[in-house]
Amino acid sequence: MSVLPAHRENVIRQLSDMSGVEVHHQAPSKIIIVLEGPESGVLGARLAEIASIEGVLSANMVFEQIERLADLGEQQ
Amino acid sequence: MSMSRRDVLKAHAAAVAAAAANISVPAVAQPVAGGIGALEIKWSKAPCRFCGTGCGVMVGVKEGKVVATHGDTLAEVNRGLNCIKGYFLSKIMYGGDRLTTPLLRKKNGVFDKNGDFTPVSWDEAFDTMATRAKQTLKDKGPTALGMFGSGQWTIWEGYAATKLMRAGFRSNNLDPNARHCMASAAYAFMRTFGMDEPMGCYDDFEAADAFVLWGSNMAEMHPILWTRLTDRRLSHPHVKVAVLSTFTNRSSDLADIPIVFKPGTDLAILNYIANHIISTGRVNQDFIKNHTSFVKGTVDIGYGLRPEHPLEKKATGAATAAATQPIDFDAYAKFVKEYTLEKASEISGVEPGFLRELAELYADPKRKVMSLWTMGFNQHVRGVWANQLVYNLHLLTGKISEPGNSPFSLTGQPSACGTAREVGTFAHRLPADMTVTNPEHRKHAEEIWRVPNGLIPEKPGYHAVEQDRMLKDGKLNFYWIMVNNNLQAAPNNTGETYPGYRNPDNFVVVSDAYPTVTAMAADLILPAAMWVEKEGGYGNAERRTHFWRQLVNAPGDARSDLWQLMEFSKRFSTDEVWPAELLTANPNYRGKTLFDVLFRNGNVDKFPATEIPAEYENRESKAFGFYVQKGLFEEYASFGRGHGHDLAPFDTYHEVRGLRWPVVNGKETKWRYREGLDPYVKAGKGVDFYGNPDGRAKIIAVPYEPPAESPDKEFDIWLVTGRVLEHWHSGSMTMRVPELYKAFPGAQCFMHAEDARARGINQGAEVRVISRRGEMRTRVNVRGRNRMPRGVVFVPWFDASQLINKATLDATDPISKQTDFKKCAVRIVPA
Repeated sequence: MSVLPAHRENVIRQLSDMSGVEVHHQAPSKIIIVLEGPESGVLGARLAEIASIEGVLSANMVFEQIERLADLGEQQ
Repeated sequence: MSMSRRDVLKAHAAAVAAAAANISVPAVAQPVAGGIGALEIKWSKAPCRFCGTGCGVMVGVKEGKVVATHGDTLAEVNRGLNCIKGYFLSKIMYGGDRLTTPLLRKKNGVFDKNGDFTPVSWDEAFDTMATRAKQTLKDKGPTALGMFGSGQWTIWEGYAATKLMRAGFRSNNLDPNARHCMASAAYAFMRTFGMDEPMGCYDDFEAADAFVLWGSNMAEMHPILWTRLTDRRLSHPHVKVAVLSTFTNRSSDLADIPIVFKPGTDLAILNYIANHIISTGRVNQDFIKNHTSFVKGTVDIGYGLRPEHPLEKKATGAATAAATQPIDFDAYAKFVKEYTLEKASEISGVEPGFLRELAELYADPKRKVMSLWTMGFNQHVRGVWANQLVYNLHLLTGKISEPGNSPFSLTGQPSACGTAREVGTFAHRLPADMTVTNPEHRKHAEEIWRVPNGLIPEKPGYHAVEQDRMLKDGKLNFYWIMVNNNLQAAPNNTGETYPGYRNPDNFVVVSDAYPTVTAMAADLILPAAMWVEKEGGYGNAERRTHFWRQLVNAPGDARSDLWQLMEFSKRFSTDEVWPAELLTANPNYRGKTLFDVLFRNGNVDKFPATEIPAEYENRESKAFGFYVQKGLFEEYASFGRGHGHDLAPFDTYHEVRGLRWPVVNGKETKWRYREGLDPYVKAGKGVDFYGNPDGRAKIIAVPYEPPAESPDKEFDIWLVTGRVLEHWHSGSMTMRVPELYKAFPGAQCFMHAEDARARGINQGAEVRVISRRGEMRTRVNVRGRNRMPRGVVFVPWFDASQLINKATLDATDPISKQTDFKKCAVRIVPA
């Protein structure tokens, strides 16, 4: 995500209120987040929502991986 | 430290993203091996299907279906990023109402204009079409036959269409929906530089010291380029961003110089900046002396309305709208002198302080400036002028054709440049910037196409808006629409478009993947293959040509536009469509089908289908028995090679992530017209605008003239239409992605809170948007992402259930014939 530096803290606060969103890295005008969800549509919808937060200049997807929960050793 | 597989995957994803975003991360978070390769998906490259940015994506196919896409890290344009629309590319082909069979309106088993859509075979569909086309040709000749294409056609689809229409049916009534989109930009390039398309490229984003957006909401419409621009701005404090618009939008968030001006008054601001450059002594004298010439344009040129409209009758310069006369620098300086800061501020309603700051960006010789524009400039009754006036600023200061100094016209469609412009699917164009009005150009095209001399008609055909008028007036009777949704997109569609489609004299065919409003108004619907269901090539806004393979099959009987065009051509013989005297003079063309003479001409059928890698399907080549795409491309490329439009060999494009033309000796060209950067500029020249015979670019003197319609007592508010982040154009693809539909489900009327209150309208209330042409209903939003000034409303046009183009005005730029969708008068009343 590209953000206005003055809004970054506020954007991160709003991200922390969203389920399935983790902030991994940040720089003055950038935030790297990881989205998790049960299917890709949920992720895209969340991305659209994030793009419209005030102070967010752009939110783009870089990497996607689809895994079955069973393969992660977890119960569905 | 132990991490679960889930944690590792997340750290890996974050690290890949950080690398793409160019930020450093702790060593522990470096990407791990395996990644996406672990999935049982076959990945291939393709350009994105949506806007003109031309991002590279990797397309994942599993069991014959596209299941995933992600940004291509090897693509220079987007470097692995993928915007929201791009993220959902894998879903656009799988809408529940995908068309899979031809549908003909029938009653009692036969075609009937008022019948119901009935599934038919391709043979019945084409036979019915051919009968109607032949009847039309017999009754009224080639000018009654027309086609409306698209900047979403692949390169070879547009090329096959232009051959079929001009050399096959001998009609220049071929125009693309790009006419609504960037015709003004194309005309301005030709008028200024004698050659179409930008001299610079996206690399300018990392080299500019200032960005000026003239009527472009890049944050929503070009998110990936916006990310590059914001990166530059936020990592280099000296960089400035100016955003000019008729309302405050998401791009304004980044603006150091935010400017909201009254609709149409950008012309006055542009002339003021030129005056500021001159009056403060910052003209680059060497540059203008050696590389420019000065002209003045015709004034009072009208508004491209029907000739009987009072505004057209009154316009003294309408008949010679495109004419110019030579002047000198002094005359030009005198002309712009009246555009003082005070006058520009008064006309535009903008604070003088902001205007002066903006002018200084251009005037300051140390600052590299990238100007960017899209529909704000192009959909403008003086769109060609607006484009040219911004070139004036770059030429006066010599800020052009070098990294960071770049007037840059952005495009809205994936192949607006590659197909509509380069292939030449406009009513007056031939490939490689040539025109049908030039006898030498026609002769050259006839030679390359191996068709008789004198075949291509000389008179330009009907442009987009004129096609609608001629359908309504019954002068255009056979009409084929491909890859576009013109009934939703066209201005004043209730008054001028729909009546033509339903005119009983007309037969209207629509090729599309989905039942758009246009398709539902047609007589025959042909189901189309889309995107990676066919082998394709697009050309993006920075002259980048890029290709993809067919990766999946289209569902049911859906077939590509290319197959449709070529297969249809088999139903016509030269004796039926070409004049007898032409065949008498060229008897060896007798008795052949249009398919034979256009596509089995020794060029197009030169490459065997065996050249296609076995792992990829290619339905068209299988159907016709030769490598169709390669043959069409190589014939087409021969138009431009050696003439400044050089394209690489066909096979190269399947290997690389696109190349920017001219590609000379295997090398692409990032900046044109400057020695050392452009192979066409000879040593010692420095700069050479070689598109013009004298090597000079033109600086034009034209005034501010008001829009075709302004608010008055009865219709008291400006209507501006446009797009939103979540939806692309008419929404025929994105509205079928459930998540995008949910994110922005319907059109809205963005309005200033006080304008709403004054009309007794609350947030979210239903309203009627009424103009002199028609009306639509929608809901008011006074606190959305677009913050409107008093007196202006914005309504996006993606929503087929709320057609804002019932209200818009069919005024066009008289030079480019591009519609002005940004300026008409409406009134808003509670529903």
